[in-house]
Amino acid sequence: MMHSDKPLTIYGEQFDSRLLIGSALYPSPEIMQQSLVASQAQIVTVSLRRQNSVSAGDDFWQLIKDTGLRVLPNTAGCHSVKEVVTLAQMCREVFATDWIKLELIGDEYNLQPDPIALLEATEILIKQGFKVLPYCTDDLVVCQRLADLGCEVLMPWGAPIGTGKGLLNPYNLKTIRERLPDHTLIVDAGLGLPSHAVQALELGYDAVLLNSAIAGAGCPVTMASAFNHAVVAGRAAYVAQAMPEKEVAAPSTPTMGMPFWHQN
Amino acid sequence: MSQTNKPRVAIVGFGLTGRVAALMLAEQYQLSVFERDLVAAPASVGTLAAAMLAPMAESVICEQDLAEQGLHAMALWPELLAKLDAPVFFQQQGTVIVAHQQDRGDLLSFQRRLKPLAGHQAQNLDGHGIGALEPELAGRFHQGLYLPCEGQLDNLAFYAASLRTLQNRGVRFHEGAEAHIAQGRVNGEAFDWIIDCRGLDAKKDSPGLRGVRGEVARIYAPEVSLQRPVRLMHPRYPLYIAPKPNHEFVIGATEIESQDRGDITVRSTLELLSAAYTVHSGFAEGRVMSLRAGLRPAYKDNRPHISVTDNVIRINGLYRHGFLLAPAVVQHALQQGVL
Repeated sequence: MMHSDKPLTIYGEQFDSRLLIGSALYPSPEIMQQSLVASQAQIVTVSLRRQNSVSAGDDFWQLIKDTGLRVLPNTAGCHSVKEVVTLAQMCREVFATDWIKLELIGDEYNLQPDPIALLEATEILIKQGFKVLPYCTDDLVVCQRLADLGCEVLMPWGAPIGTGKGLLNPYNLKTIRERLPDHTLIVDAGLGLPSHAVQALELGYDAVLLNSAIAGAGCPVTMASAFNHAVVAGRAAYVAQAMPEKEVAAPSTPTMGMPFWHQN
Repeated sequence: MSQTNKPRVAIVGFGLTGRVAALMLAEQYQLSVFERDLVAAPASVGTLAAAMLAPMAESVICEQDLAEQGLHAMALWPELLAKLDAPVFFQQQGTVIVAHQQDRGDLLSFQRRLKPLAGHQAQNLDGHGIGALEPELAGRFHQGLYLPCEGQLDNLAFYAASLRTLQNRGVRFHEGAEAHIAQGRVNGEAFDWIIDCRGLDAKKDSPGLRGVRGEVARIYAPEVSLQRPVRLMHPRYPLYIAPKPNHEFVIGATEIESQDRGDITVRSTLELLSAAYTVHSGFAEGRVMSLRAGLRPAYKDNRPHISVTDNVIRINGLYRHGFLLAPAVVQHALQQGVL
């Protein structure tokens, strides 16, 4: 028996791939393009700030456009509500999308999001008609407040950006999943291995977003393909519903053919 | 052979590759150099560079063959510099790589991604080892690497000496106006060979060429003495401090996908200078000589490209590897026709 699955939904739009991928830190733009193809991702995140302006950076922007992927602009590098609001408005104009991956950094060293300013910025941007995808910590209450403000998608971290540590607190992530069953949840940041992505999808997360794990791999193109397989496997495992854990071993093959004196 | 009987070669673009090509050809050819700027005040991105010759460290981000070409270029540089009428600082005493405790993961990742170069090894350093190589860093860092095969030169001294030398050799300079290459001629003038070294100015003729913005600080810091280039692990850029003669230091470089030629940003300035300060507190009293931004010419694969069409040889896309690769790439290009 096959269970049917629903596609990933982001503000009413549906996607087959459950992998969202970043466009920074690749050895070359060519390897970036090849990695995007190998990942089979349909959404790529782009930072406007690091390009200064898209008109000035139009060559790199053209390379992104050439991929044909849906662009999710992000506000990487912003530290205040004012900065993110301004940058989000610029992104809307330049990339012609009302999607915004909201990154608002509270701590410079581990790039931890500032939950208080994030709520404030989210409220302002939603009122301005943005579809906000907030990058947040794995705090249930922060996620609930973001949902209350109207976010249909929430993106708690697995671990600090670029650490590759995987899901540091699966319990928190699981709780958020259970308490916000109808929201689209994406683990954003901190993944290093395909197995981390599998774990996130097995927990019921709808997708993962990552950059360094692919761009920083020895062979980014191969790693992109590995992550594609990982999200497919993780989602299938979630849909298939895992067997319950047991405390004692139970034989998986019948023992009728075994002499009784061998059975205990 | 008298100057007038020698074959005539035009070098279009007098940046780093143009200068290297001119030095390689000056003895056998009658050279004309075409440069958009005034040759005495070059705007070339090579004047910003730290001019590090770091084939092993750069192997982390480039392919094996380019790292090997970098090693080859290292051997060619002394021959090129020997052609100059003035001495240019050149050193081959390796590079020290250091990391703050919090960035240990980046150092491990860097070490793991170093590609093997025949006959050359990276050496692990503890705090004592770092202090032995760079006494002023003793006690500041406890983990690092030493890449003995690497070196550096003084980019500004090279720019000045190469101009003076080529002027002394009777090279004709056409400066201050953009040159046009068409139908095997430069501005309508015929040459036996034309070497196109225009970098980003050749964009119209080189599809796929893009600029990658880099920002660099040059600091005079009399309280700082470093023997060799020091790289600091940083999560976003390969950051380095390259000591030049007279306590001058080149600190760089950001790497931003942008065609913006505007001034360096405050953010980049803070990042570069605070990184330098964490390596050596003596930079606090240093004097900022310049803060500059420029565009590195690069193709989509971030590799140099050479093409030969009739009598035109085009060399471009040296990206962040100008000084590292120029002698090897230019030699290879010239061997396809001129040399």
